[in-house]
Amino acid sequence: MSRVLISTSPSMDPIAPPPTLNVVRRKTSLAKIIAELWDSRDLVVQFMRRDITIRYAQAVMGFAWALVMPLLIVGAGLVFRVVLSTLSNSPIESAGIAGLAAKAVPWVFFSGGLTTATQSLLAHSNLIGKVYFPRESIPIASVFAQLPDLVVSLVVVLIIVPIVGVSLHLTALWGVAVLLLLVIFTIGWALVLSCANLFFRDVKYILQVALNFGVFATPVFFEPQMLGKKGAAIMLALPLSPFIQAMDVAVVRGKSLLEPLVLHSPKGPVVVWEPWMLGYAVILSTILASAGMIIFRRTSGKFAEMA
Amino acid sequence: MTPYLAFERVWKKFKRGQTHDSLRDLVPAMARRLIGRPHVEHKGSSRTFWALRDLSFEVKPGEVLGIIGSNGAGKSTTLKILNRIMDPTAGTVRTEGRIGALIEVSAGFHQDLTGRQNIFLQGAIMGMRKAEVERKFDEIVAFAGIDDFLDTPVKRYSSGMNARLGFSIAAHLEPDILIIDEVLAVGDAAFQQKAFGRIKQMATGGAPVVLVSHQLDRIAELCTKAIVLDHGATRVEGAPLDCINAYLHGIARTTPATDSGVKIRFDRVFGPNGQAVASGQEITIIVTGTADLEAAPEGWSPAFRIRDTATATQVHSVTGLQRGIPLPVTGEFEYHLTLQMNVQPGRYTVEPVIWNAISNETILTGPSLPIEVLERLPFYCEVQLNSRWLAPKLAAVPPSADSKAERQSA
Repeated sequence: MSRVLISTSPSMDPIAPPPTLNVVRRKTSLAKIIAELWDSRDLVVQFMRRDITIRYAQAVMGFAWALVMPLLIVGAGLVFRVVLSTLSNSPIESAGIAGLAAKAVPWVFFSGGLTTATQSLLAHSNLIGKVYFPRESIPIASVFAQLPDLVVSLVVVLIIVPIVGVSLHLTALWGVAVLLLLVIFTIGWALVLSCANLFFRDVKYILQVALNFGVFATPVFFEPQMLGKKGAAIMLALPLSPFIQAMDVAVVRGKSLLEPLVLHSPKGPVVVWEPWMLGYAVILSTILASAGMIIFRRTSGKFAEMA
Repeated sequence: MTPYLAFERVWKKFKRGQTHDSLRDLVPAMARRLIGRPHVEHKGSSRTFWALRDLSFEVKPGEVLGIIGSNGAGKSTTLKILNRIMDPTAGTVRTEGRIGALIEVSAGFHQDLTGRQNIFLQGAIMGMRKAEVERKFDEIVAFAGIDDFLDTPVKRYSSGMNARLGFSIAAHLEPDILIIDEVLAVGDAAFQQKAFGRIKQMATGGAPVVLVSHQLDRIAELCTKAIVLDHGATRVEGAPLDCINAYLHGIARTTPATDSGVKIRFDRVFGPNGQAVASGQEITIIVTGTADLEAAPEGWSPAFRIRDTATATQVHSVTGLQRGIPLPVTGEFEYHLTLQMNVQPGRYTVEPVIWNAISNETILTGPSLPIEVLERLPFYCEVQLNSRWLAPKLAAVPPSADSKAERQSA
């Protein structure tokens, strides 16, 4: 006969664990998280492909749809500039228009990627409660799903800039490098905000408000030199600014990012780029992405209960 | 690496009701705490309950653990913690090896994608590499039987096709550790048969397996050991059949309710020593007990019930009332019951009860005895009539089929 253990009635069970009992936490070392994510890269690709397929399946225009958002930003920027120039009686330079287009590229990627990524975990709550897989793959894939749009809009900008009458230089490659950094920067934010949105459902609204401010606070519509010396310094110190300003400096103005750039304004010379801003962008991206992964992993054990 | 799986004193606490769900609520709550005002409780927000209480088990290669329990006993929570969907509140979960789960097998499907696209998507979600899915693609499609609909969006699939495809993807995982939950019943009868065959093949492949199912006959067939969960704690552990019996007969009822005034109890039940019997064989059941009644209450009678373990249906019962066996009033007693097991091969339980013929209530249920019946003669249809067929007298040879046909057509 096998051993049968019959214990007493439920009421006699202990109702809380002894305090000496501890929990083995999830592995949170960055190297282990990255290793696991690398192992599940096929999953990230599958999620990304699904998102892209679904997004473009219904759109009649196909990838031309990728240009709608950048065009709207450029259009809004143009209206803004025209109003400003009539108020101040100064003409709009063609470089300014080209700059608007170049700077719309990182902005649209950042705001679009972050908006979809922030809601991505909640949108997958059903799956999260049922199946295990590295949860990071969801927000990362939804940022990656914006990559085709980024590439299409970058190519269009590179075609349009010479047409507007601004010659392209090899320094435009700096722009590509900065955009790659921006992807890492966006993923960092996406990891933090997507899990924050799971715990606090109003995060996505707060994000929208912040993005509406951000388009004016960062050099998307404005040029730093319009704000004078102090204003420019403050604007350029904002975390997203180096990524946006670099597109103007490297792609439109044809300057290397390793040298400072000083522009003249009615209020005197204004520094619009300094080499340390490149280092700032690198450090910001690295810290955000690492912190994002660790915060995300630490809280991921609670996702299934929140979702 | 030896695949391995263990729960060590695992506890899991859940909150009933809402927690802070928006910053809008959290900020005032924090401000209130800062200025020292008492926290305003939402209705029921702080009520917690333990879904798992001190649960421990381990599963080694070659072992199949069955988890039995009614709804809300903690089975799903156990599986979710095993599968790393949730973390335990206290205690340790040790796993060694890649875990594959036959749970919610089509959860990752996107309705607008085609069957082909969904195979890759769901495969990746379950932890398969793209190359692995490509290698098994044809097998998956063939098993699910959806060849003609590969490039049709899943939203046009019938629910059966959907489930078949999901099961088929999961069934082609090659995990080190296998977790199975209630996916045994998908699709039509033919597919269920096929699916169960596949599960059996996977479960007996040597990996550590945890199986949760309400189909107790499947637990009995597949598992090497089992536990019965009740309110998040292990109530019974041991051989699958013992656990199933304990579960079916309600663990609480096996101890006599002395405080309810019933001063009679069954102590032990003996049968064919745990050995399987052949269909049609006679067995004797011996039951011992003690009684301390002043007089036999009106209508009370000893009785036996024989149930089909898998379905819990009663296949036979016999009462002392019918057979003139009185209820024991004082002292120890012993009953002998002989049964001829004219039943389908399968698993049965015999339980002694005290039954009130007037109110038609069961007063007391004794410890139950599992009996396994094997096939002796080919057993078809519902009942075993022990037919005996005598050899025909060969004097009158029946006309052949041909001559019969000729005569009819003539």
